[in-house]
Order: sequence, then C-alpha cells, then structure tokens
Amino acid sequence: MVYRRCLQLLRDDAEASDLMQDVFLRIYSALERLDMESPSSLLWNTATRLCLNRIRDKRRRGLDVDSSSLLLSIACAEDEHDDYETKNVLAKLFSKEPESSRTMAVLHFVDGMTLEETAREVGLSVSGVRKRLRGLQAKVKTLEVK
Amino acid sequence: MIPDWKLERFLTGDLPEEEMNKLRELEANDAIFANRVKMLREDNKAILSKLSFEEIAEKIAEMDAENAAGKCSSVNGATSGTVTDSVARFRILKLASAAVLVLAVALVAFFAQRETTVMNERVGSDVASVQETQNTQVALAETQSDTRIKGLDARMEVWKKTSAGIAQLNDLDSVGEGDEIQLRYAVPEKCFGLLFSMDGNGALTLHMGDGVKAIELAPGKMNSLPFAYKLDDAPYFEKFFFVTSPKEFAVEENDVDKLLKRSDVKVIGFTLKKAGK
Repeated sequence: MVYRRCLQLLRDDAEASDLMQDVFLRIYSALERLDMESPSSLLWNTATRLCLNRIRDKRRRGLDVDSSSLLLSIACAEDEHDDYETKNVLAKLFSKEPESSRTMAVLHFVDGMTLEETAREVGLSVSGVRKRLRGLQAKVKTLEVK
Repeated sequence: MIPDWKLERFLTGDLPEEEMNKLRELEANDAIFANRVKMLREDNKAILSKLSFEEIAEKIAEMDAENAAGKCSSVNGATSGTVTDSVARFRILKLASAAVLVLAVALVAFFAQRETTVMNERVGSDVASVQETQNTQVALAETQSDTRIKGLDARMEVWKKTSAGIAQLNDLDSVGEGDEIQLRYAVPEKCFGLLFSMDGNGALTLHMGDGVKAIELAPGKMNSLPFAYKLDDAPYFEKFFFVTSPKEFAVEENDVDKLLKRSDVKVIGFTLKKAGK
C-alpha cells in the first residue's frame, strides 16, 4: 500500500522505494506518540505528505517533476497549516493538530474522497475540511471546493 | 467504481465492518472487482520479493541503538530504554512493513487491539492535604518501580509546554510556577491505575482516577491526559505518582504512603524541582 501510494504520486520506482522506507521510519520513530486508531490512514497520509514534500523540494530545486499539474499545484501551494514536519507530532500531545491542507487536497481532489470521507480521514469536521480546502483554493486556482 | 484508497483499506481489513462485508460480497459476486483485488494481492507479493527490507531493519537498529545510548545514562524509569524495548519496537515495525505489503490484516489486528482506549478523566484539583512532613517523605521517597523495564511495565512521561513548543522532562528537572505540564502514560496490560501528584505544600492533586479510586486502563499506546496541568506556587517540588495494579484500589487522602507501600501495586514516581524555591 505504501509503496504503491508513493509510486502513484512520484511516478518513479527508485524514489517510491526510498520514500516508502522514510514513511516507515518516520512512523516508527514517533510510534508511541501517534494516534494508531487507523494505521492504514496514518500510513496513507504520511506517505502522501512526504511525497508532496518531495515533489515540492524537487520543483524548488528546478528539477523535472513527473506529476500531474493538479498534484504539482497542490504540492507547491503555500499552506500555513503545513508545519507537521517540524512540530505537529509533538504538538499533538497538547492539542490535536490537523493534517496539512495539502494532504487534504490530495485526498479530496486526487484520491476522490468525498468531503465526508476526507473529514473522517483527517479527524476534522466536514466544515473544517471545507474551510481548509477553500483556504488552499485561494492559492491554487484550479481547485474547486463545493 | 471502488476507489483505489478504499480497495487498499479493504486489503488491510481497515474499513468499518459494514463496508468490509459489502466489499467481501462484491469480491464474491463481481468478477471485475475480484480481479482488481487479485491483482493487488499479487502486486503485494511482487513488491515484497523485489524490495529489500534489510535496509529499513538496519536503520531501525541504528535508531534504537542511538536511543538506547542516549537513555542508558538515565535511571529514571520514564525515559529508560532497553534491549527488550528495542526488540519489541523492531517487531512492531517488521509487522507493520510486512502487513502493509502482504500480511496487512495482521497489522490491523495488532493495532485493533490497541483501539480500546479507556477515556481518562482528570478529577478536580486538590482533594486533600496531609501533613507536610509526611508528604515530603513520601514525595521524595524513591520507589522500587522507579527503575523498570520499558515496554514490559507501565510508563509515565512528563512534558512541559514552552514558547518554542513542548519538551519532554526528565526526573528531577526544574520547573516553575505557571509551567504547563502534560502527563502521558501507557500500560502493558489491562489493569487499574491512578495518577496523582503531591507538591511541596503537601497538597495532593488527582490527575486521573474516579475520585480517589483507580480506573480501568487498556493496554497499548501512550495516552495523554485530556488536560495539561498548570503548576501553582507550591515550593520545593511536584512529584507525580502513577500507580497501577491488577486489582481495584484507591488512595487514602490522608495516607498516601500506605498505598505506595502496598505490595500489590506498582509505582512510578517522577519528581520535578521547583526552580528558585
């Protein structure tokens, strides 16, 4: 599942393999602090987030990125909520920090999850997800949040 | 059309039971869907045979070695790591890796048993005062359970909120009035537990319990108490006690020592020094 997810987003066998390892290592290193209610969601969302970061980093370095324009737009969108990497895992101890808006956008626009499914996936209300996606929509004009 | 993400969850058995049954039925009756499932299962096998997990295993071993090295100097139970712990953690990841790729159901089953989370309730603030002298003796007394095998015993972590984020505290770290403290715990098996603290004024504060009675705790992941605890101006120290037992028990408000000396309870103590006091 994780490898396939990485391959789907990165479209590169070697990178997918590399990211897959990273996903497991990240989760392993924070295993005791993470919410394990839905391990599949955790793996899926972590893979999504790391792949988005990889795509964004490559783009910033001027490297070719073999991604759809939609995914590229989402990956490179500025997201004020996207501080998961630096503090979210620990911040979860004091408050449930929601998943980044970019990950939500991929779940909804790329994976085809409904707003309800996306909300369930990231532990937010539907209105909360809609609000976050609309915030991202202001930066990614091709997104249309219903 | 069942989306890919849902199909993946079906393979890992990580969908609500109703949806699982629906898709099982679909697999039995819909040749196209059954073929998609079959292809994914075959793909799982191919991925496992193609990708080596040795590298992940080595990195995990390195991480655990670093953690163990960083922690072995500490005698505090809340932060000590052991080989047993490393092995257990390694097994968890091995299980996760294999499960996601091939034996996904096993992963979900493993975590599913962790899902039963006992909701903890912080009960009030100060519930009793006892004689200061007696308290000080109790609070500063080291219990046998302070040094324990992580992973096989109950655990307690103490975290402090700071302007830069949050930081895990070590036993005997200094704190000050107004600091926000977050307590976390985990137990290895179903048991009863009570979490309380005593400050330098001799005030007893219950953080988790049904009044003075221990509540039932479920094994599994670390649980954060629902509220952070703000330290008041009490002097000298704040000592936290996480007491567990297979049997129900309660703390006597005026005789904490009696509970801590019982042979049928395990006690984890964690002391914070009050800075400048």
